[in-house]
Amino acid sequence: MVSVLKALEDAVGSEYVSDKDFITYAYARGIDSALPANPPDYVVKPGTTEEVAAVMRIANQYKIPVVPRGGGCCLTGGSKPIEKGGILLDTTRMHKILNIDLNTLTVTVEAGITWAELNNKLNELGYYTGNLGPGSGMSAVVGGGLSHHSVGGGGGAKYGTCTEHVVALEVVLPTGQIINTGANASVYTKEPFCRFGFGPDLTGLFLGDNGLLGIKTKATLEIFPKPPYHAAKTFTIEEPSAENAAKIWLAWRRRGDLGIYDSQWWPLIMVLGLQLLLDVPPVKPWVGLQKAVFWYTMEAETEEQLEANMKIVDKICKENGCTELGPELKDGNIAKWHYEEQGHWLNWHSLWGGMGPGSIPLTTEHHQAIHRVPYISKKLDEWEAAHRAELDANGGMQTGISTAILCGHTTVEVDSGLLAWDKPEYREKNLELWKSQIEMLLREGAMPYMVGEMFSKGLIDTEAFNGTYYAFLRDVKRALDPNRILSPGKFYL
Amino acid sequence: MAKMKNTRKLSDMVYACSGIGDCRIAYRWAVGRYGVCPVLEHSPQFDPFYARGKIRIAKGLLEGALEPSKELAEVLYQCTTCGNCHSACHQSMCEEIVLPISRFIDHVKLFEAMRADLVEEGFGPMPRHKEILESTRKEHNPYMEKHADRVKWIPKGKKIPQKADLVWFVGCTEPYRQPDLAQAFLKILEASKTNFAIIHPEEWCCGSVFFRTGVWDMAEELAKHNLEALKAAGAKKVVIHCAGCYRTIAKDYAELFGELPFKVVNAVELIRDFMKEGKLKLKKLDTKVTYHDPCHLGRHMKIYDAPREILEMMPGVQLVEMKRIKEASWCCGAGGGVKSGFPELAVDIAKDRIKEAEETGADYLVTACPFCVKNLQDAAEALNSKIKVLDIVELVAENLA
Repeated sequence: MVSVLKALEDAVGSEYVSDKDFITYAYARGIDSALPANPPDYVVKPGTTEEVAAVMRIANQYKIPVVPRGGGCCLTGGSKPIEKGGILLDTTRMHKILNIDLNTLTVTVEAGITWAELNNKLNELGYYTGNLGPGSGMSAVVGGGLSHHSVGGGGGAKYGTCTEHVVALEVVLPTGQIINTGANASVYTKEPFCRFGFGPDLTGLFLGDNGLLGIKTKATLEIFPKPPYHAAKTFTIEEPSAENAAKIWLAWRRRGDLGIYDSQWWPLIMVLGLQLLLDVPPVKPWVGLQKAVFWYTMEAETEEQLEANMKIVDKICKENGCTELGPELKDGNIAKWHYEEQGHWLNWHSLWGGMGPGSIPLTTEHHQAIHRVPYISKKLDEWEAAHRAELDANGGMQTGISTAILCGHTTVEVDSGLLAWDKPEYREKNLELWKSQIEMLLREGAMPYMVGEMFSKGLIDTEAFNGTYYAFLRDVKRALDPNRILSPGKFYL
Repeated sequence: MAKMKNTRKLSDMVYACSGIGDCRIAYRWAVGRYGVCPVLEHSPQFDPFYARGKIRIAKGLLEGALEPSKELAEVLYQCTTCGNCHSACHQSMCEEIVLPISRFIDHVKLFEAMRADLVEEGFGPMPRHKEILESTRKEHNPYMEKHADRVKWIPKGKKIPQKADLVWFVGCTEPYRQPDLAQAFLKILEASKTNFAIIHPEEWCCGSVFFRTGVWDMAEELAKHNLEALKAAGAKKVVIHCAGCYRTIAKDYAELFGELPFKVVNAVELIRDFMKEGKLKLKKLDTKVTYHDPCHLGRHMKIYDAPREILEMMPGVQLVEMKRIKEASWCCGAGGGVKSGFPELAVDIAKDRIKEAEETGADYLVTACPFCVKNLQDAAEALNSKIKVLDIVELVAENLA
């Protein structure tokens, strides 16, 4: 394989290619410690779109699989080789902001930039991307977020998924060809301003594709002025808190646009678990709290608008079992920290992603319609009851919903999953139980977005896609990637 | 399979890392965080050049999936051990929220343990560090200079006692490479009319470079010697200007030997107290300065306020902060054995800091570490920068009334 190494070095420069074991091993995982470590044969770090294209042409020539990776933050095995070997293409060298256009209110970036670096720059100008990408946005890159329909990093209640605000993409196809989509599909486009036009929405083909159909090298995103006024409130919420939270969210949505930027429900088990499982409770003001938590952040253009909306929102909260904690973080108002100190980027991955040495999160996070949240919460309780003995026998695994986040029109991101222990004797059972919960949720209509290896295979194993849909997806994949080069194994493709 | 016994002792840290990767380039403007790893931008940027990749390597070594090698060692030594990754990793930077993982990983400690294992396996330290080791074995200093010359910086005719309640541990860098700094601090001590001693000829290298580069047997030998010498001098309080020596004696010695029989303070704390007590009178200046937090003084020892208080108390001095300060401060690039092992990398990192200092419009870039001074001066020279790099003791001493 010396010739492959040489070809890759010629394509991207010898400094940016490695086949050293200690380099490739560092890319054998994402945040998916329950899955086997699969080191690639080569790691490449291209600096331009043309270099990405050259790598893909080499991969086709030698029939070597390629896995694209940004921040490496996928929790379900999406940012590492599913099968051993191949080329891992790390996009993080490509992190320039190419243009901020205040006439079209868009930003064009190289797709290897993190959500945090991008929003840091926009913040200086009084703008943001609305949805701030995934909860791991300080590490996760724009390309990865768009590959996952990411939502957890803040702004989901107001702006939906990050993929809803894409105007144009530059994509390197699995064969090494470069295409522009959306506004940039036409050579006559003066500047990217609108995604929809020029026929079918081919941009959408590469959004949420989990790196299956192409490598996003540039993205143009809508940007929004950050409103001058905001409010942040945190409440305790009475049981049944899942039902109460769902009622609040739906009541808000039925009233129209109230400026809700973010909203989360934290089940009682999570609030108690943080106090009982850890010797130092992470949220100091919550020590002794014996109730589930619910919070929101809200934005407005004027103080009057803020007050008026808050009145409506708070009334609905109060009618559904909410009691406000104090105004400051020291009073328990975690919403304030989320909004004002970018706590949203520490929320899931960093704040609750691990409870201590050796603990690993096996996420089963997914989307549900708001009104289905209480039902799915009950199904997860039933699943736990049915598997409690196995969970206990496997090191004392925990399971449930950590948070649920309002993240779209009538959609909620349900952060369900398992907390497991990374020990050799538990690994097989960890995977079995993880798979079992995924399959239960898929059969109950869960819509995963960070599909990676686990959910993409789960979708096929549970026959979630009807035969015609799966055949269509396979045909699209074959048409774009005839040599099965890009991200092989996802969806069993 | 390599033994990796020092890393194995810290395996809880290795298995606490969930691999999120905020240690690469995290931004959180609300708390003043703009980036993390100073080495990354000057490297091929593969994961092992920042903390997450190093921890993954640790896991591979512990599980036998990897074996140590010369090339692996070269990457692990290209780290200034500045600790910015630790400050970024799961740190809320907010008193009310303590993220679980942040309590379990001490990145600098882990990387130093990995280096110690590489030394034991025959792959560390770097060639230049080995020369320093030989020099220290022979002459008790890392600069290949005669031990007897350690006191050449003391102005002729001046006698400094060898016993006092307050003992000044001078270090190696200032006597051998930056005598102006030692003379400046001497001037300040004398102006304050404080009794103090130095422990020459019993003062040896503090061992910092060996703690940092994993040559722990040598580090311990030096530590034992200096501890006995300081005890013998009757020290009740030890003052240290060099940030590296200060971190080593106050933290590493204390970890090795338990509670030390004397208080350890940094020169900036002493000077701050002198100024508050009215023991130092200063001339009025008309200048703008910015302050660089040395990693060994700041992130490692949490001394952020004392140097700023000094600057604010100096008449006519206007302190203008750089964008990245205190816990999120940008490293000068010299620490962790990088200045000696990878000098070009060290200066490249320092250039980033010089450019950042220039953005403030300051006349002086002031710091409180001879090592930072040297590296920042090298970078300023390479950039032909107009900003003047000074140690805070020089600024104070030069302006004593």
